[in-house]
Amino acid sequence: MLLSKEQTTEIIPQKAPFIMIDSLLSANEIDFKSSFVAMEQNIFSENGKLQEPALIENIAQTVAAGFSYVGQQQGGPPKIGFIGAISKLKVHQLPNIGDEINTTVTHLHKFENIYLIRGENYVNGNLLVECEMKIVVQE
Amino acid sequence: MASREEIISTVKEFLSEEFEVEKSTIEPEANLQETLDLDSLDYVDLVVVIEENFGFKVTGEDFVGVVSFNDFYDLVEKKLAEK
Repeated sequence: MLLSKEQTTEIIPQKAPFIMIDSLLSANEIDFKSSFVAMEQNIFSENGKLQEPALIENIAQTVAAGFSYVGQQQGGPPKIGFIGAISKLKVHQLPNIGDEINTTVTHLHKFENIYLIRGENYVNGNLLVECEMKIVVQE
Repeated sequence: MASREEIISTVKEFLSEEFEVEKSTIEPEANLQETLDLDSLDYVDLVVVIEENFGFKVTGEDFVGVVSFNDFYDLVEKKLAEK
């Protein structure tokens, strides 16, 4: 684990109750990985499941934490990213409350300060949501 | 190396598909940005299809001076020659 929940929360712009990430597990030039436990008190918890918006936001916050961490490691200020667009979104299944969600964000392309990434989250290897996002990074 | 005609044919094919425009609107002197209705985020898609179809990367600097499709074909020709 690279960053604990407290450390991860400090480097992303989102605030409670809108935090959809627990720990940043790894971050490099190729991909970012994070973990997140679906809790009953989550604002997107419904009928024992965590709903789609939480999973999409989980991908976005993994991007935010990853860019921020990498920016700090490079000696600069934390980079802040904004979702420009979401495409190729597929929802396969929703996690149960209590499940640990593992998320991978892969960098596909970069043009100037716009990054095209692919995000996927899983529970026990089963794909939940996949999508591509264009992230505009403030540099 | 691809001829100018082959480049034009390939470009028309992938741009019309990616940006959902009629091939007939892709005229040499037509404005690239206006014809394809590109905003800044769409340039990422343009970069992706260029790399997929021609195998080279482009940067923002490469697009300086690219206004018409003719300019775009010139850019592709130049980049292919550099490969």
